[in-house]
Amino acid sequence: MPKAAGDAKLLIQSLSKAYAATPTNLKIIDLYVVFAVATAVVQVVYMGVVGSFPFNSFLSGVLSCIGTAVLAVCLRIQVNKDNKEFKDLAPERAFADFVLCNLVLHLVIMNFLG
Amino acid sequence: MAAPRLPVLFLLLALLVVACRGEASGEGPRGRKVLVLVDDLAVRSSHSAFFGSLQARGLDLEFRLADDPKLSLHRYGQYLYDGLVLFAPSTPRFGGSVDQNAVLEFIDAGHDMILAADSSASDLIRGIATECGVDFDEDPEAMVIDHINYASTEVEGDHTLIAGDDLIESDVILGSKKIDAPVLFRGIGHAANPSNSLVLKVLSASPSAYSANPKTKLASPPSLTGSAISLVSVMQARNNARVLISGSLDLFSNRFLKSSVKKAGSKLSHEKAGNEQFVTETSKWVFHERGHLKAVNVKHHKIGETNEPSMYRINDDLEYSVEIYEWSGTSWKPYVADDVQVQFYMMSPYVLKNMSTDKKGVYSSSFKVPDVYGVFQFKVEYQKLGYTGLSLAKQIPVRPYRHNEYERFITSAYPYYAASFSTMGAFFIFSIAYLYHK
Amino acid sequence: MAAASAATTSALEPLLRSLRLKTKQQELLLRVSALALIYVLAFAVRLFSVLRYESMIHEFDPYFNYRTTLYLTEHGYGEFWNWFDSESWYPLGRVVGGTLFPGLMVTAALLHRLLHALSLAVHIREVCVLTAPFFAANTTLVAYAFGREIWDSGAGLVAAALIAVCPGYISRSVAGSYDNEGVAIFALLLTFYLFVRAVNTGSLAWALASAFGYFYMVSAWGGYVFIINLLPLYVLVLLVTGRYSQRLYVAYNCMYILGMLLGMQIRFVGFQHVQSGEHMAAMGVFFLLQVFFFLDWVKYMLNDVKLFKSFLRITLTCVITVGTLALGIGTASGYISPWTGRFYSLLDPTYAKDHIPIIASVSEHQPTAWSSFMFDFHILLFLFPAGLYFCFKRLSDATIFIVMYGLTSMYFAGVMVRLILVAAPAVCLISAIAVSATMKNLTTLIRTKSKSPQTTSGKATGSKAAAKGAVDQPLPFQHNVAIALLLGAFYLLSRYAIHCTWVTSEAYSSPSIVLSARGHNGGRVIFDDYREAYYWLRQNTPTDAKIMSWWDYGYQITAMGNRTVIVDNNTWNNTHIATVGRAMSSYEDEAYEIMQSLDVNYVLVVFGGVTGYSSDDINKFLWMVRIGGGVFPVIKEPDYLVNGEYRVDKGASHKMLNCLMYKLCYYRFGELTTEYGKPPGYDRVRGVEIGNKDVKLEYLEEAFTTSNWIVRIYKVKPPKNRS
Repeated sequence: MPKAAGDAKLLIQSLSKAYAATPTNLKIIDLYVVFAVATAVVQVVYMGVVGSFPFNSFLSGVLSCIGTAVLAVCLRIQVNKDNKEFKDLAPERAFADFVLCNLVLHLVIMNFLG
Repeated sequence: MAAPRLPVLFLLLALLVVACRGEASGEGPRGRKVLVLVDDLAVRSSHSAFFGSLQARGLDLEFRLADDPKLSLHRYGQYLYDGLVLFAPSTPRFGGSVDQNAVLEFIDAGHDMILAADSSASDLIRGIATECGVDFDEDPEAMVIDHINYASTEVEGDHTLIAGDDLIESDVILGSKKIDAPVLFRGIGHAANPSNSLVLKVLSASPSAYSANPKTKLASPPSLTGSAISLVSVMQARNNARVLISGSLDLFSNRFLKSSVKKAGSKLSHEKAGNEQFVTETSKWVFHERGHLKAVNVKHHKIGETNEPSMYRINDDLEYSVEIYEWSGTSWKPYVADDVQVQFYMMSPYVLKNMSTDKKGVYSSSFKVPDVYGVFQFKVEYQKLGYTGLSLAKQIPVRPYRHNEYERFITSAYPYYAASFSTMGAFFIFSIAYLYHK
Repeated sequence: MAAASAATTSALEPLLRSLRLKTKQQELLLRVSALALIYVLAFAVRLFSVLRYESMIHEFDPYFNYRTTLYLTEHGYGEFWNWFDSESWYPLGRVVGGTLFPGLMVTAALLHRLLHALSLAVHIREVCVLTAPFFAANTTLVAYAFGREIWDSGAGLVAAALIAVCPGYISRSVAGSYDNEGVAIFALLLTFYLFVRAVNTGSLAWALASAFGYFYMVSAWGGYVFIINLLPLYVLVLLVTGRYSQRLYVAYNCMYILGMLLGMQIRFVGFQHVQSGEHMAAMGVFFLLQVFFFLDWVKYMLNDVKLFKSFLRITLTCVITVGTLALGIGTASGYISPWTGRFYSLLDPTYAKDHIPIIASVSEHQPTAWSSFMFDFHILLFLFPAGLYFCFKRLSDATIFIVMYGLTSMYFAGVMVRLILVAAPAVCLISAIAVSATMKNLTTLIRTKSKSPQTTSGKATGSKAAAKGAVDQPLPFQHNVAIALLLGAFYLLSRYAIHCTWVTSEAYSSPSIVLSARGHNGGRVIFDDYREAYYWLRQNTPTDAKIMSWWDYGYQITAMGNRTVIVDNNTWNNTHIATVGRAMSSYEDEAYEIMQSLDVNYVLVVFGGVTGYSSDDINKFLWMVRIGGGVFPVIKEPDYLVNGEYRVDKGASHKMLNCLMYKLCYYRFGELTTEYGKPPGYDRVRGVEIGNKDVKLEYLEEAFTTSNWIVRIYKVKPPKNRS
């Protein structure tokens, strides 16, 4: 196991080094994603404790987090300047799409929550 | 002042109409016109005491010969009579338009009948009796013989005059006053059809009786013996038509009504046979002067409301009530009993409850609708010996919760609400931060 | 018909040229007018049924849809959503709002309201009758867009023309066929188109649009399961073949999350997206994509192969363990429901036959015969492989999708007759590619050799030989051969058009509630017995009367007769149906007890012995026995057979000759002479003289028999008064 632990240490080090070079706007997105995922995990744990009774509430809670995270990742892919695949997509357009999707997501969540 | 007075007047008028209606419903359950068919007009005088008691109670008797060619039970689709007394045991066929089927249809239309046969009973009479669930002894010569429980006024000694005292225990059929004296009977015996659950033996023969031809020696064992022999039976059809069948026409005769009786081997001698009381009480029952129940004002509603809904929701609390009255012969009296039950029924009873009564005729019960949706029925199935059957069924659908009737804002779900709203908030913050970062 | 519209457009051409439009504008005008013609054609060809009969609702299920739509327009959406119907499934009732796909009804109600807002006072029935043709016409537009997306606009036009008249699609979308499939195929194709578009562009907006398309599909038809399984399969194939792209990631994730959330808003579907086995593939692929993306990202960040490999090892073991654990626990604890019978019977065609008679008893769930493939697809069946060849030749994300759609749906079409419908758009699209590609090859060939005025705006046809001929070996007579092939292709397409029109007018426009037959002198004879019977019920029975019939007629009785039924076409409660099956196959006295317990007042049977109408209750009877026997073992199928043979004549078994269904169908039939030169009681469907001519009914009495004896109604007598 020490080898694996050493690997992991090395891994984290090089990762954080590489990550430091990321532009700020992507970092903001990452923060947002981390927040959403963390909220989702907390909810799943909570569900494990109290049981899944208001199942629709649980689903909407968790899905709103996952949805948020996934959409943010999509945005991150699209606005990443290093990404060659989305060269012809303007970041403004990407952000507008993102907002639209989020609006739909949250409206549906509101409907599903109660 | 004139303006408000007018509605008051209308109200009074309406009340009057309602009151009149109420009085109309104060009439008995049956009309009073009875056709008496005899095969010999002498019966009219030989049985005058019985007819007299009927007339004294307000029955309107019309005497006709059974083979009267103008005989008809109905005209223009309406029945002319409300009851029938068939004292024509030997008639081979009726006159006019009446035949066996006409008589049965008369019963199936909800009318009552007293049928008396004797040893000369024709196939027609036997046929009617069979259709009413009673089989007379097939041997045309046979009579009921009882060598132990015969009436000792009889001297000749073929022991066919029976002093019967095995009466049904029912105050409704026989009246509340006990019949002490034995009932004299001379005639043929019958047996109730075992597949027919509607026939009741009112006067049964004793275990020592048998049915055979008294004039010849007993060649083979008699087909009807013991208390399986019924002397007088009643049948209440599903539509509450009542039929009394007696194997003896003499049972109703003046001679038997007036005669004194002493049972063989018994020291007790009665001044008067029980016949008079017996025929009076049973004829009261047959002509619905007793034991007729009616249920009115079936109501159900949610507790706390008065209007009857067209549909219930699962887990609603509801109240069901019905008024039950009994005809006393002169007026409708509240019926009092503690065994009336209501069912909330869908393929099987989901709720089965005794209803409580306020002794004024109102029966009510309240219960919770089960947690099952479907088309339910409120059912009151009240079948009590001697009484007319009450069979009320009222269909009512029960629906599940509507989407907005479920519990909302459940405490255990608050973290989820919080999470959803926090992501929403985060979205706004993120958008602003993202747009203005630089 | 494609040929017809092609001819029209090419006729327009000289006129256009004289107007000196630029080539681009010309092409646009041609395309738009061709599309408009196709649109009208798609609508018009489906009106045969209205011309032949009248504007009425067809078949069985559409009657339920019509009844619910009527309820929706009368009571509004809130009431509809919460509707508890006490008139069907007596005495259980049915929560209609929670057990149907509301898409179709809401669509029709909205159209109705829209028309009224335009002050066109149309009755809702007309709207319902014309909904399917309207959506079929819209489907042609989607097909055009889809064809353009995967190939080029020429292929799109051909696809639109092909699908406009494809019999496989027409069979479910003629006027009056007011069923879920009518709008669902539109929704299905739209979802696929939008998804492919999203994959091609990698845009969130298109993915969102496809999620909405999916939502509409979920709200309209249970066939949405096909989408939710095909998409992950497609993603998986792209992953395996190394065609993973971030566009795919964006498209699939956005579509899945939003589509799932939207789908959950439909009450009937509810939590199935996270609970039922059929939807687990999509979820699995969703998580797989996240892992894949994460790995990809880390790899990109690390730029170090060795480190990445060790990282890969760690994460992969973790993910696989967690995934299997979750799935295992979910399945074992019953949290994830197992696959439903219908789904199983798709994967294993013999499953239903052995386990679920109620599914196997429906004729449209039978495996498809070759002849019906031929009947429904005609030349498309040969163009389909050719199209696949072209797709493989020019492999892209979009063509991979259409190939997968085509292949899977063809498989399902082979398993169940009704799924030909799902395959129809794919077959049309792929065939259109074949046609368009060969045409293009041929015409370029002709053009290069000679300056022939022949142009293509992209319609025409081909065969495999033509495709091969197009490869550039300069053969002698190449030009002439190309022209000949082109003509041949036109001939084939016109055959297709003729076939489609013929099929539509002859086979698919029958409403099945009104029957027609050819009389002796060749004239049309109309049997309107069903409606006669239902109107009789409506007018002659008490409003709360309960009618027992086999479930096929349930929807029609409630919709047209307005009476309560015991079972209907929504076969959700097998036990209840089995009870009816048991009553039908019991002796009269046993059946009477069952009918009393269900408060049945009338019994309705369908009998074709007089007219020769073969889908009657006697022919369906063995299914009643099987379904009844599946729940009540007292009913045994061999009791009704003689040496494994089903017969109704003298040689039939005693039980068969005296069961309720036999008695009700053949009551008084023994006195009737149906055909000249045959003995009385000659059954024209079975072609035999019946075995029990002296049918006596004890507990029921005949109440009504329609003029051609097709529907017979019996009244259940009350218990005897005096016994």
